[in-house]
Amino acid sequence: MSDLPFFLLGFSVLLHVIFVSITMGTGWITAYSRMMAYLKGDAYLERFARKAFRILVVFELFSGVWGTIITVVLAGFFPGLTALATNVLFTPLLIALIAIMVRIPSIGIFWYTWGKVHPRTHSLVGMIMAISGFLIPFGFRAVFSEITSPTAVAEFIAHGFASPFTAYASVMFWLLYLHTIFASLSVGGFVVAFLTSLEKDERGLKIGYRYGVTFLIAQIPIGILYWLSHASFSSYIFQSITFGNFLPVFVAKITVVALLVALSIVAYVKRGSPTLLALLSLSAVFFGELMNGGARYPYIVVLGNEGLHFSAFTNLYIEVPMIAVFVILAFLLISVLVFLTALFYALFRRYLADIPGH
Amino acid sequence: MLEGMLALSALGVYFHALFVSITLGFPLVIMALLYKYDKTGDEDYFRSAKIATSVLAVNFALGAITGTLVEFGLVQAWPGTIIAIATFAFVPLALELVAFALEIAFLVLFIVTLGKIKPIKSFLILAVYWIFAVFSGVLITAVNSWLIAPWGTGIVAKALYPFMPEFGPLSTDVEKLLALKILALATGIPIQAIIQIPEVSAKLGIVLFDPYVAFLSPYALASILHNLFAAFLVGTSIALLAYAIRYHQSKEERHLKTIRVVAPIVLVLFLVQPTIFGHLMGASVVEFNPSKFAMMENALMSYKNPLIAFVAYGDPSKEIVGFDQLKSSCDLHGNAKLGDLANSVGLSKEKVLLIAKEVGVTVDAKKVSAVYDANLRDVCLSDLEKAISKIQVVHVSYYTKIFFGVIGFLASISLFVSLKFKRFSNLFNRFLGDKTLLILSIAIFLGSAIPSALGWFVREVGRKPWTVYGLLYPEELVTIVGYALTPQFLAFMALVILAIALSGIYAMLIVAKREIRFLELLRGEKNE
Repeated sequence: MSDLPFFLLGFSVLLHVIFVSITMGTGWITAYSRMMAYLKGDAYLERFARKAFRILVVFELFSGVWGTIITVVLAGFFPGLTALATNVLFTPLLIALIAIMVRIPSIGIFWYTWGKVHPRTHSLVGMIMAISGFLIPFGFRAVFSEITSPTAVAEFIAHGFASPFTAYASVMFWLLYLHTIFASLSVGGFVVAFLTSLEKDERGLKIGYRYGVTFLIAQIPIGILYWLSHASFSSYIFQSITFGNFLPVFVAKITVVALLVALSIVAYVKRGSPTLLALLSLSAVFFGELMNGGARYPYIVVLGNEGLHFSAFTNLYIEVPMIAVFVILAFLLISVLVFLTALFYALFRRYLADIPGH
Repeated sequence: MLEGMLALSALGVYFHALFVSITLGFPLVIMALLYKYDKTGDEDYFRSAKIATSVLAVNFALGAITGTLVEFGLVQAWPGTIIAIATFAFVPLALELVAFALEIAFLVLFIVTLGKIKPIKSFLILAVYWIFAVFSGVLITAVNSWLIAPWGTGIVAKALYPFMPEFGPLSTDVEKLLALKILALATGIPIQAIIQIPEVSAKLGIVLFDPYVAFLSPYALASILHNLFAAFLVGTSIALLAYAIRYHQSKEERHLKTIRVVAPIVLVLFLVQPTIFGHLMGASVVEFNPSKFAMMENALMSYKNPLIAFVAYGDPSKEIVGFDQLKSSCDLHGNAKLGDLANSVGLSKEKVLLIAKEVGVTVDAKKVSAVYDANLRDVCLSDLEKAISKIQVVHVSYYTKIFFGVIGFLASISLFVSLKFKRFSNLFNRFLGDKTLLILSIAIFLGSAIPSALGWFVREVGRKPWTVYGLLYPEELVTIVGYALTPQFLAFMALVILAIALSGIYAMLIVAKREIRFLELLRGEKNE
């Protein structure tokens, strides 16, 4: 079975993170624009909110599917790790679960009650939708920070138990969480800018860029801090990124971010290619997450300069049927293609048209 | 608190089952309506298909949420099941990912393109979606069926409980599984505490030789057919009831047209479900779950009933096997100890202690000895007593299910003939007046939903005191997180589940009732 479980998990995480960075960002942009439309009496902002919301609607469930895929991959390929996480990180996982349960219905309610309830109430629903979106990584990113720099797991090993909120005492968690939120807002902005550019909506384009640029710049110090904190809390990953195998990925990420900063500022002030900016922002997420997950290889839980090899938690209870795994992978890729087809019809062929009343 | 956790899990499963039924049943209705629209060009069929699509979309989201809840519930509340997920359920669950991902991709494609492409193309896209939804149901039911009839464990359960059958060929390493069980019993901690230790999997090694074994179970085949058709029936009868209510309220012809399309589907499902698949399921219970069958038939003592015996055994002269016979089979153990059984597969006390040391489990040798000294006959009798404690509730539930099933069966035939033949229509109208369609649709709905709910209850409670029939108890699989088993936590989670599920059902009602067009809403053409 060799390294396959590690790469399968990494692939699922990458795809999931790329999709959810779009949905979380567009969720906030939608909710905030809708609220400002009400507070300022700005009709355009309401139409803009609808445009951003369309992106969220199309992406949300499919991005969620990849979350489910991660869970099954974890339980199937890494049963020991899953058993440990559901014990030590019970509370963060529960927070994520409840947030998912609030997020999806709130999207439905927000959608259906648009124009049917008082704008104040509708804005409130929108905020619940956006905040519940941010609460999902508040749960799940605790798992990532734990496998990068164990806090709750360390307490568990030392004392035989971990208190419910220990994972949140980790500096790495807060840096990673902020980094995630800022990245999603930046990506959401660039994706919205891309969509509005298709419709020659100049104001929408500007708003999208503003989100993209602002949170991209806000992300830079957090990103640097996050990188530097690895030197103290997760030196194996720091070494791997800064001097080791993942240096090319790190360089790629820095290059993409630098390009994105320069091009997006130019685009905001003068003119640019929203398609390129959206792609660059998604690439930044891709490279960031690739380092976040991949630089720990061959460890799954990093403990300073070394760690627990991923095989310590892999499923050796059965001989995993490789044919089945490859067939599954192939079909999962087909599902991505089908989804992209739907996306093409929804957004490019404009089967999901944007401006209400037109 | 274990009972509370079981009830909480059941709550999540029930809501998920409701949404899954709609997920599986509504596409049949929508496809039939699209087919009629394609053939006749009558816009009314398309309009009805769009309303059903609105409900399907909201429902799918709720199905996904409750599915996530059930999935997390499984690994968080019952983490001991992770060992099953990693072994017997590995292939079914991995394949289920494919089904789920493609299901959602095709549903999005269907919704986005409905009304923009030819109806027959929409029909085909939905058909592909439905096939993956059904495939998903097949796989999940295969996993659930393994818990009820743990196929591939051969003679293991029978060695502990002589009244039990053999569960297929032996595809497991009995020594290792028994070692895990003995360690759980000796330490008094759930299996999670053992499998979470790094390297345990490597040190224990292969415990299952055939990862596909869950698919080979005859019990799974019967369950899959029975459960899927129950879901189709519930889903289509919900659609039928919804259109009957609309027709009753508005008297609009278009709703009647839809009812005429849906009623034959419901009839066909009602004709095959109890007669073929229900019987197949019953026969499987008789063969593989003797204690459940005794509970269903309230057979504290064995008795004669030619009708039940004929249906169950194909022989009216046979006796219904009751708990008296099951208990007397426990006597076959004589004075044998659990240790004798362990030793017979080469698992000595010393070896258990060695395994414990190797995997890093701290266990008292005296407690291992106590487990080895456990009298098998006492264990067998004690577990049967636990099953007997639930005999009344299972029996009453089972026969209530049968009663409502018969009502639904008769109502579906009545609805069909009243729609098809004027003479019957007049006859029904004489007794039921202008509420004929509504009353028959309500009866059909109750005749499908209540048997499904009670059927699941009988399925789950009937296998107690085990979670994996004859092998593992709930207390061995439950979480080791203490606060998850407090009344406060259970009440909180129950409230969260209820709030989400009930508001979701309300949302579906609104979408269906107000007829604000979901697809136009999606496209931003309404609702300014």
